[in-house]
Amino acid sequence: MGKIFKLLGLALVLALGIGLAVVAGDYGPWYFAWLVGTTMIVLIAAAGAVLFDTQEAATSGEA
Amino acid sequence: MPLIDPSVVDLSRMQFALTALYHFLFVPLTLGMTFILAAMETVYVITGKAIYKEMTQFWGKLFGINFAIGVATGLTMEFEFGTNWSMFSHFVGDVFGTPLAIEGLMAFFMESTFVGLMFFGWDRLSKPGHLAITYLTALGSNLSALWILIANGFMQNPQGASFDPVTMRMQFTSFLGLVFSPDAQAKFVHTSIAGFVAGAMFIMGISAFYLLRRQHVALAARSFRMAALFGVISSMAVVTLGDALGRLDYLVQPTKIAAIEGLWQDSNAHSTVAAAPWLLFALPNDATQSNSFEIGVPYLLTPLVTHSENQVIPGLITQERMAGPRILDGIKAVNALQAFGARHDAADLAAFQASEGNMGYGFLAQRNAPNQDLKLITPANQDAIVAQTERDIVPNVFVTFWSFRLMMFLGFYFVALFAFASYYSLRNELMKHPWLLKATMWSIPLPIMATEFGWITAEAGRQPWSVFGWLPTFQAASSHPVGYMIFSLIGFALLYSSFIAAELYLMFKFARLGPQPHHDAPEEPGMSPMFARAAE
Amino acid sequence: MEMFVALKVIWAVLLGVLLTGLAVMVGMDMGVGSMLRFVGRNDAERRVALNIIGPHWDGNQVWFILGGGAIFAAFPTLYATSFSVFYVVMILLLFSMIMRPVAFEYRSKVPGDKWRGTWDWAFLISGALPMIIYGAAFGNVMEGVGFHYSWTGQYFQDESFLSYLLNPFAVMCGVLSLALSLYQGGTMLMLRGEEPIYGRARGFAIGGALVAALLFAAGGFWIAHLNGYAFSAPVDPNMPPTPLTGQSVVVQPGAWMNNYHRYPVLWVLPALGLLGMLGGAAMAALRKPIIGWWLGAIAWIGVIFTTGASMFPFLMPSSSNPDQSLTVWNATGSEYNLGWMLFFALLFTPIIIAYTSWCFYVMRGKVRIGDITKNTHGY
Repeated sequence: MGKIFKLLGLALVLALGIGLAVVAGDYGPWYFAWLVGTTMIVLIAAAGAVLFDTQEAATSGEA
Repeated sequence: MPLIDPSVVDLSRMQFALTALYHFLFVPLTLGMTFILAAMETVYVITGKAIYKEMTQFWGKLFGINFAIGVATGLTMEFEFGTNWSMFSHFVGDVFGTPLAIEGLMAFFMESTFVGLMFFGWDRLSKPGHLAITYLTALGSNLSALWILIANGFMQNPQGASFDPVTMRMQFTSFLGLVFSPDAQAKFVHTSIAGFVAGAMFIMGISAFYLLRRQHVALAARSFRMAALFGVISSMAVVTLGDALGRLDYLVQPTKIAAIEGLWQDSNAHSTVAAAPWLLFALPNDATQSNSFEIGVPYLLTPLVTHSENQVIPGLITQERMAGPRILDGIKAVNALQAFGARHDAADLAAFQASEGNMGYGFLAQRNAPNQDLKLITPANQDAIVAQTERDIVPNVFVTFWSFRLMMFLGFYFVALFAFASYYSLRNELMKHPWLLKATMWSIPLPIMATEFGWITAEAGRQPWSVFGWLPTFQAASSHPVGYMIFSLIGFALLYSSFIAAELYLMFKFARLGPQPHHDAPEEPGMSPMFARAAE
Repeated sequence: MEMFVALKVIWAVLLGVLLTGLAVMVGMDMGVGSMLRFVGRNDAERRVALNIIGPHWDGNQVWFILGGGAIFAAFPTLYATSFSVFYVVMILLLFSMIMRPVAFEYRSKVPGDKWRGTWDWAFLISGALPMIIYGAAFGNVMEGVGFHYSWTGQYFQDESFLSYLLNPFAVMCGVLSLALSLYQGGTMLMLRGEEPIYGRARGFAIGGALVAALLFAAGGFWIAHLNGYAFSAPVDPNMPPTPLTGQSVVVQPGAWMNNYHRYPVLWVLPALGLLGMLGGAAMAALRKPIIGWWLGAIAWIGVIFTTGASMFPFLMPSSSNPDQSLTVWNATGSEYNLGWMLFFALLFTPIIIAYTSWCFYVMRGKVRIGDITKNTHGY
């Protein structure tokens, strides 16, 4: 039961996200760009940190 | 009717500019740091490594010191429209107040409620729960900026409202027109991302300070990496959006773009349209309406501003001449409006409506009319008043020109700095380049300065209008005695300077101190940290 | 009833709701701020008191900002006029309000009696002064304010700021407002604090509630003899919202009681106020802070809606040019604007109430001195 609610909640968030993106893309191209761009900036920064840990593990492995 | 006292208007402008610029010393860090904190915490939740929690909490503490003054000085802004700009509030409150109210409902409540949980809820929420709170705080603070800039977009290019002669104010007519105004859109993205750059530079700069002293290296190297990547994309986006805003100004605020480019004559006056030079350096002289000295790069101006090869950019002197007929027509409009207000006669209304589009120019002439009364304009003094008012449509070119250039040069400097920083951080070679670390550390205040110059460009370039084309700044202020203004200015000066002293003291203290070891036991990287309850 | 008139009335009620929300939520924090130096006799005790409202003061303060924004949008002329006419006190209010966020964030970041003592004084000023000004503003508005408009809609002030600064009725309203905030803050400290803070806060809650009840009753008798305002000719509620034309108003002693004579059912409101105050004092005495807190909210509802019902439809009467008094009919925004604002209010208010309550739920429980010294991310 709890799982179903979680899935439903997730589906709702996704549907809202798509709805928002469609409206923003239609009327406000720059708003849309901000949504996509900010998500990307945050994810790339996070990926950079993960890469740092991998690099560190590799160097300490060599040493 | 008592006359408008120019010194009260000037003091009101000074107070607004000082309080707005002061407020904006703190806002960019809030806009940017919240998202960087969210990125750090995301890595913590995904990998479960305690160092990322430590990073989030350490930078969160510095964020909190900054956030408090941001909130406090924001209160001033919300009240100043009413306390100092009563005519403005009356004239556009019906459309300008709405985004401010929605900001409260949608964004400020969210940001302020969740920021409390962000600081206090570490031990009371699950990891993903706390992460969600951090994201909501970040989203809330940026949504705040969104609604404020929608309101500001209306002042730059009034869309979504029309003037109502019965209530003597602009009335709201289109919600979509207001919210999706191109000015509001480009302004929001430009400003929000400028905040990202400021946040990234702040974190990167302090991390560089630690790296230079070989302190807290694990935290500093990771923070540096994240901030550098965050900043390199943000700084490029900021430049892109700045270009979009310039093109918009060309379309809807020709006086502003001409002032930004120091363009007294049309862009084809001295050479062909295509070869028109873009001024790298110039000394605009507002009194003689010319540049005393200029160095330009040929072939750059037209494509840069118009995104074309053949569109002419009208110079300020041409624009002054073109304003003449509008001023004459505007005087008719305002006189008809006043007559309609007194008698409610249909003929007056018809006369007003015929010239409605130029009403703002009529108000502009009021300052130069005898006794500030347009009805005292006669054929004898008319030409002199119109000529005087023509020159009033030009903003202060020296200020606009230079604040824009300083902002822009800084913007390109940020792109370069973040690019080097990202490159060497990705190669883990930062320690070999202390010059880069030093440059980063000393650059911490620069993005904030750039945003201040941006504000000056946008708002000084908007003059003499408070609502572009409709309401001159001269008419917009409250009818206070000078004494009121001196009282409030002294108070603000005392209060705000003691705040900044306290803020800088605490910032330096805690940045020098660095992250402190926590009382919690170091945690084990669990099997699936994503779903581990926060019992640590 | 026409749509526009309905919207005007709805926004007048919402204005009351906002002013009440502001009074309850911000008033509670202000009350704690004002009594901080007295309920906490040493640094650790004061930090406990601060951390009780610590997670919530910022969210609560948004009521204040929202109040400003909503008046700006829904009653533009009222916003433009009242904030400018009351310039001197508005600026004082602003100065004291902006001290508070900084005081919260900075006070406990540095040890040292001098540093913390200074901020504790800032809490006292930034708690008591805004509440007094808030109440006094109501008092001044009820007495009428000297202003008129030029043909463009620009206001002009017709009296010195001293007349509203030193107005005895307004000062009494200010003290009433401060007393209510002490009562509300006291019950909050009882809710999440332990002895000795609990006992001292209880004293403030009882005292505040009783003083408030006394002043509220006295104010009622005073109002009955005070100059009120009334229309001397019928007014069209559907009129275009402008104070420049369209109404004639007379000043009459006792006119603020007219609505109560016409609709005796309105006496429920002052009764509610008194019930909240007297009941609240009793509940604090019986050590039931939760009921006490809610009775404090009811007391505020009673006080603010009593005032509103007495003045309706007047919002800010002009003593120097009564015909240009601001009313619910002539000071609102346009119909289109009020409609959109209502849409957003209906959309977001439930969401705000939901997450604010959730936030209080997450941070529930007693705050102890031990927690303060251990926790590094509190105040």
